[in-house]
Amino acid sequence: MPVTLRYPFTELEAPPEYRGLPHIDPKLCIGCGACVNACPPDAILRIDDYDRGTRKIVLDIGRCIRCARCEEVCPTGAIRLTNLFEAASPDRRDHIEVVELRLVRCKVCGNYTDFTERQVKKALQILPKEILEEEALEEKVFICRNCRRKGTVDATINATKEVVL
Amino acid sequence: MMEKIIFALITVMIIFLLPPLLDGISRKVKAKIQYRVGASIFQTYYDLQSLLNMEPILPTERLAFRIAPYIAFASALAATLVLPFGSFVPVAFTGDFFVFLYVLAMFSVAMMIAGFSVNNSYTNAGANREMMLILSIEPVLGVAIGVFALNAHSLSIGGIPLNITFTPSLILAYVLLAYAVYVEGGFIPFDIAEAETEILEGPLCEYSGRLLGMFKWAMLIKRLALLWLFVSFLVLPIMKNIVDITTFTGGLATLVAQLVVLFIIYGIIAIIEASNARLRIDQAIRQNTKVFFAGLVVLLIAALGW
Amino acid sequence: MKYLEELKAKFGERIEEIKQLAHNQWLITVDKDILHEVVVYFLKHPEWKETQLSTMVGTDERPLRGKFSVTYWLSVNGNSDDVYIGIKAYLPADDPRFKSVTPLHKGANWYEREVQDLLGIIPEGHPDPRKLVLPDDWPSCVYPLRKDFHYSDSPQGEKYYPYREPPQGTTVHPIGPYHVALDEPAHFRLYVKGEEIIDCDYRGFYSHRGIEKISESRLTYDQICFIAERICGICGFTHSTAYCQAVEAAGEIEVPERALYIRTIMLELERLHSHLLWIGVACHLTGFDTGFMHAWRLREHVMWLCERLTGNRKTYGINLVGGVRRDFLDYRKEMIEDVLKKLKSEFGKLVDDLTSTKTFIKRCEGVGVLPYKLAHEWSVDGPLGRGSGRDFDVRRDHPYAAYGDLDFKVPVYKEGDVLARALVRIEETWESIWIIEQALDQLPGGDILAEYKEIPPYREAIGTTEAPRGENVHYVMTGPGNTVYRYRARAATYNNLPAVPDMLRGYTIADAPLIIASIDPCYSCTERVQIVDIESGKVRILKEEEFNKLSIKASRRV
Repeated sequence: MPVTLRYPFTELEAPPEYRGLPHIDPKLCIGCGACVNACPPDAILRIDDYDRGTRKIVLDIGRCIRCARCEEVCPTGAIRLTNLFEAASPDRRDHIEVVELRLVRCKVCGNYTDFTERQVKKALQILPKEILEEEALEEKVFICRNCRRKGTVDATINATKEVVL
Repeated sequence: MMEKIIFALITVMIIFLLPPLLDGISRKVKAKIQYRVGASIFQTYYDLQSLLNMEPILPTERLAFRIAPYIAFASALAATLVLPFGSFVPVAFTGDFFVFLYVLAMFSVAMMIAGFSVNNSYTNAGANREMMLILSIEPVLGVAIGVFALNAHSLSIGGIPLNITFTPSLILAYVLLAYAVYVEGGFIPFDIAEAETEILEGPLCEYSGRLLGMFKWAMLIKRLALLWLFVSFLVLPIMKNIVDITTFTGGLATLVAQLVVLFIIYGIIAIIEASNARLRIDQAIRQNTKVFFAGLVVLLIAALGW
Repeated sequence: MKYLEELKAKFGERIEEIKQLAHNQWLITVDKDILHEVVVYFLKHPEWKETQLSTMVGTDERPLRGKFSVTYWLSVNGNSDDVYIGIKAYLPADDPRFKSVTPLHKGANWYEREVQDLLGIIPEGHPDPRKLVLPDDWPSCVYPLRKDFHYSDSPQGEKYYPYREPPQGTTVHPIGPYHVALDEPAHFRLYVKGEEIIDCDYRGFYSHRGIEKISESRLTYDQICFIAERICGICGFTHSTAYCQAVEAAGEIEVPERALYIRTIMLELERLHSHLLWIGVACHLTGFDTGFMHAWRLREHVMWLCERLTGNRKTYGINLVGGVRRDFLDYRKEMIEDVLKKLKSEFGKLVDDLTSTKTFIKRCEGVGVLPYKLAHEWSVDGPLGRGSGRDFDVRRDHPYAAYGDLDFKVPVYKEGDVLARALVRIEETWESIWIIEQALDQLPGGDILAEYKEIPPYREAIGTTEAPRGENVHYVMTGPGNTVYRYRARAATYNNLPAVPDMLRGYTIADAPLIIASIDPCYSCTERVQIVDIESGKVRILKEEEFNKLSIKASRRV
């Protein structure tokens, strides 16, 4: 009755509770970066490229400590810890997972904003209709921070002018 | 003539190829006791093969360091050659019992040369321990064989087991011999000179590749020599009453009986090894000294003819 | 707190402030010239027998008040009182010096060398002011824990370390930095005559990773839980618990009762596997591999159980400030009961096997004796202290988590040899099983994680736990904006390791690995954690070709 196994010549499956290698489902990821903020060892990075208009969420399982904080904070359930544990690979690049998402292009100035198209879509989905209509958000969300601030400032100045006049 | 050649061939096979298998079996037995699957019983062959194929890394330019494994190998080999394999004794002459003791001591000397030829406190400590151990156990072995020689009135290892008569002192001599063989074989708790977790295999610490392989192989052959001596002393006196050892079939039957007993004893040793911790050198020496004095008493009893 | 009047009467005006930090924690600020006197006053107090130096914290408080500070934290143990006393003194920024306590109490040796290394605060009159923590090639006058040092800097100096001269007629027998008997790097320099050990010098901190610096510089409260757990690969959970307790005490966060019980159960499971591991290692070091394999086989039951409970065999990662992240569901409760049942029958058998193996007992008996007096002088803790007759245990003397509600014995032996330590651990294993059973029975319902608002900055507190190896003390000074201003983790081995040379003297090289292992040393714990910054790209990843080239080069040289 040996208790050892002929591993790696036999298959070994981790229990369902096991926190294994993390994996991002690229279909679900909206690129919000909540996981980036929560990750203690900086295993997940957010890299924005404003020239090409992309955001990369880069997951490096070589740095990952399997704490599952990312799983807890993910709003869409895109990042999940699988119960796989075999990470050995001759190629360092096998440890890296990249999700590339498109950034929103500002409707006013044409520059890229610091949020992704999917983020906007998600936000529009979960916000109640009344708020969307009241604030005219459907329009506003496609404008970058600077233009929005400028818009608000301009509107205020105009309003003050009117009052003064 | 043909018969002699066959025996010679079997003997050579036993001397060179059996020791790693015995070690593999011992490892398997230990694994079973420890609830492990364990390595294949041929693992020691694989280990030796890979070691012998590797270039050694030399920590020193000294010739002694390079030559020590070969001295050890030659001594271990020489020790086996005076032992009876069935009816066949490769090199038989009167007084070979002393030669046996000498070449065994030579093996330890090779270990000491290996240990002292490098400036490393681990190998030095190992060589020191080997020296102390051998100085305390070689007399016990000598006394044990001496009792047998006295009993059989023979100084040849091949002749002793065929001529012994059964006396009370003989039983004690068997116990002495078993103890001496066990200690000298360096089995746990007496693997003090090569204690891995304390002094990193002692004298072998700086060895690698082919030289290490030679040393390991030599050690296994030395163990075989010691155990074969014990097995022969045990089996031959019984077999000589059952079959005529001098005939071919009788010799072969004796050889098979020797092998069977050897395997059993190796298995028992594996169990003893698995259920013991290593002794400290001072503890071992104290114990060996006690056994030596007990041995002298046994010798006295034997001299009185009991 | 008792004896405060006595203290005031003795030192009068020179005590600047007395403040209560938490229900059992007091902070006494004194003039720097009497710091050592006050520390020794408490350490040698006739009424408090088992008082010991728990930790010492040096802080760069220049950004706050233009001064450095040092605080000695003493714990009052035994059955005397449930009190921790911090004795603090501020030192001027331009000349940070204080009088060393080491000549009066050996246990302060490492602590004072550490503040000298990391903060440049000089203990005057220290008998052995050599480098302790920083690497041999670290330049002098660069102090990494000062606030003006950036965590990703790594300066280089000349490599040099002044080892002690070997005594007359001895040779040097090095154990480590790499040695089969050491599971982590450490360097014991034995000065031997033949096989006998005459003296010993120690150089460690090879796995100093700068955890404290990274925690103070880059991480948030919740993130530190995970790095604190990684201080140790064996008793990590007690570290993260101690850290959480420190923050909870500083932030006055009330932890839900269920979380406390879950922590207790996990802490005891950790102790179980740690003690089984130690028994295995002790067997292996003496060549008794069967004991080793069987001890680890039993340990595996606990490891698998922990995997089911928390998601990982070790580094459970379930502690957060304010509670725990995972709850015990009913089916998991049954699992624990099953494993305990198995352990109870099999552990009894293992202990019988061990005690009936004469050769093993022979190796442990009368070896590595640490008498009570020395144990007290070095402030050793845990099974090492209890094996030398020190009757204390953080779980009993300063109840934390749910230990206040549970009933257990604290085994104490007077012999002080390796065997006594082994017996303490064996008995503790039985007690752990008993504690888990009680905790499971009494497990209350409710929440497992407390919500808390922002933690006010610049509050101090310590959190302590009884790790399998002894007392773990984590000190936290909160900072602004969800970060820690000063974090100091002290593992049990930090107090135990300096006593090892005293235990080795007079024994043989053959005993050395066993004696060293008998304190169950945990070098990484003691040395804490360097994190490489990703942005600055300090980690250079070798491509396969490059690596091959390098290794070919290396083998050619040979």
